[in-house]
Amino acid sequence: MAILKTENITMKFGGITAVSDFTMELEKNKIIGLIGPNGAGKTTAFNVITGVYKPTSGHIFYNKENITGIKPHNITKLGIARTFQNIRLFKELSVLENVLIANHLRLKSNPFSAVVNTPNYVRQEKHMIEKSLALLEEVDLIDVKDEKSFSLPYGYQRRLEIARALATEPKVLLLDEPAAGMNPQESNQLMEFIIKIRDKFDLSIFMIEHHMQVVMGVCEKIYVLDHGITIAQGTPHEIQNNPRVIEAYLGVE
Amino acid sequence: MKKKKIILSLIAIILFFSLLFILNSVFNSHQTRILRLCGIYVVLALSLNLINGFTGQFSLGTAGFMAIGAYTSAILTMPPAQKASAYYLEPIVPWLADIEMSFLPALIIAGLISALIGFIVAAPVLRLRDDYLAIATLGFSEIIRVVITNLQNITNGSLGLKGLPNYTNVWWSWGVAVVCIIFMALLINSSYGRALKAIREDEIAAEAMGINLFRNKLFAFTVSSFMAGVGGALLGHLMGTIDPLMFRFTLTYNILLIVVVGGIGSITGSVISGVIVTVAMEALRIVDGNIDLGFMVIKGIPGMRMVIFSILLMVIILFFRRGIMGTNEFSWKWILESKLFKKRKEVA
Ligand SMILES: Nc1ncnc2c1ncn2[C@@H]1O[C@H](COP(=O)(O)OP(=O)(O)O)[C@@H](O)[C@H]1O
Ligand SMILES: [Mg+2]
Repeated sequence: MAILKTENITMKFGGITAVSDFTMELEKNKIIGLIGPNGAGKTTAFNVITGVYKPTSGHIFYNKENITGIKPHNITKLGIARTFQNIRLFKELSVLENVLIANHLRLKSNPFSAVVNTPNYVRQEKHMIEKSLALLEEVDLIDVKDEKSFSLPYGYQRRLEIARALATEPKVLLLDEPAAGMNPQESNQLMEFIIKIRDKFDLSIFMIEHHMQVVMGVCEKIYVLDHGITIAQGTPHEIQNNPRVIEAYLGVE
Repeated sequence: MKKKKIILSLIAIILFFSLLFILNSVFNSHQTRILRLCGIYVVLALSLNLINGFTGQFSLGTAGFMAIGAYTSAILTMPPAQKASAYYLEPIVPWLADIEMSFLPALIIAGLISALIGFIVAAPVLRLRDDYLAIATLGFSEIIRVVITNLQNITNGSLGLKGLPNYTNVWWSWGVAVVCIIFMALLINSSYGRALKAIREDEIAAEAMGINLFRNKLFAFTVSSFMAGVGGALLGHLMGTIDPLMFRFTLTYNILLIVVVGGIGSITGSVISGVIVTVAMEALRIVDGNIDLGFMVIKGIPGMRMVIFSILLMVIILFFRRGIMGTNEFSWKWILESKLFKKRKEVA
């Protein structure tokens, strides 16, 4: 069964059609990819799925529920989390705080209970901290938990962004170029990490990657965008040998 | 550790109020007035810091909310006879004429009405960002003044109100300040405070983490309005006289100065700077008058004080943007783990 599905989503900005008639399906516990040259509309597709933009036309379904036009924070609450192409951490805050913030949406309390420290709030806060520490342990960031997030090395920042998304307790994870700026060895480690969290957290993952080789190893299905148009979809093998894909890529790189 | 912190905090509060008691008895009336002003400005700085420093929303409406608070509390506490004689151009509306209550309920109602208006204004205004938000809140603050000037039968218009009960002693001023400091510290370190800081750091990321931007901003704005209203009421009962001119933009500007000097996003900074700037502002009053150097007299220019402060603000923004504290806070952990205490422990 498809946990996430889009039907003919089109996103226009004024005269530009950034995404046109994009239809995709993500099966539960699968990892699928979205590739295409720069400016192809990949990030825009993510922004539409996560509610940042309301599509000009088309629909998005999550577990059969139509989620088109729902606000981003509510989409996250439903169970779709994301990372950003240009890392967007809470820079001045510590690694632990970054993860704690991602727990906030599951808090069942109110500011005044928090201020007067009601037992109910204190219990939940304690639970949040324990959960966050366990998660940081899991992703190997526990040693830097008190560092300000902007001071981390690049690779750690990428990992923290994924950890922060995991802290929202998602069922679907959208990763926007997680391997950007990494060397082949780092990318390979990252892909292993992504498979590991998929299994550990029972996730279904939709991943944008600019570099074809990187996604080939982990994705079972790949969609290829070029100028907003889906020029191909299929298994890595099919994609690799698709003349239109080769043309789009060779034309650019 | 937690228990230890609470005990240390309690001791610090008791010591602080003992100090206030001593200062209050040795200071002359001019000096205690400054002491009272300090407490009020701490409250106001925290109010502005909550929305600007912690939530990252550039709001400049403080003076407007102060006006609402000051007028509310003044009208609620002035004796009916005094109101009858004060409103001589147009009598006060009957439903307000006979109200007279004590300071605490008046102060709370002042805060609540200010918060209510903040809540109503927030809905349209908080959809704006950055400079636009600043302009809109500033405009709102001016509108409040115009409304107050024209509501003759409620506010006594441009005549203002004179002879407000002189309630704001050192205990009221600093009592409220301490409550606000504790409230802010607890709020900011809670999950809700973290949500506000997340919005300040990156709205798009905060929203992607499931944080409802509008609701959280609305909350911060409303609480900030409440505190500004209470601060305004305290100020009114310290001055004894209020009129619409008192709540011009320069008042917000003074508070902004305190927040920037202390550190945008630091409670500790607002408290330290609230005291320093208030004292300095009073000390600098001499430059507004003639200065006699013995051999010559420098002619005073009224308003010179504000020129000096404007230059100071510019220098800080250009060279010391992080202010005294940056976004750092005082904490017991930091004190206990400092070298001083470590050494002692090793000896023991
Ligand atoms: N908010 C926006 N307003 C206008 N144009 C946009 C906006 N977001 C994206 N675009 C345009 O949409 C196209 C696709 O961009 P994007 O989705 O970021 O591509 P990719 O992620 O595949 O590199 C680009 O031409 C970009 O300029
Ligand atoms: Mg992109």
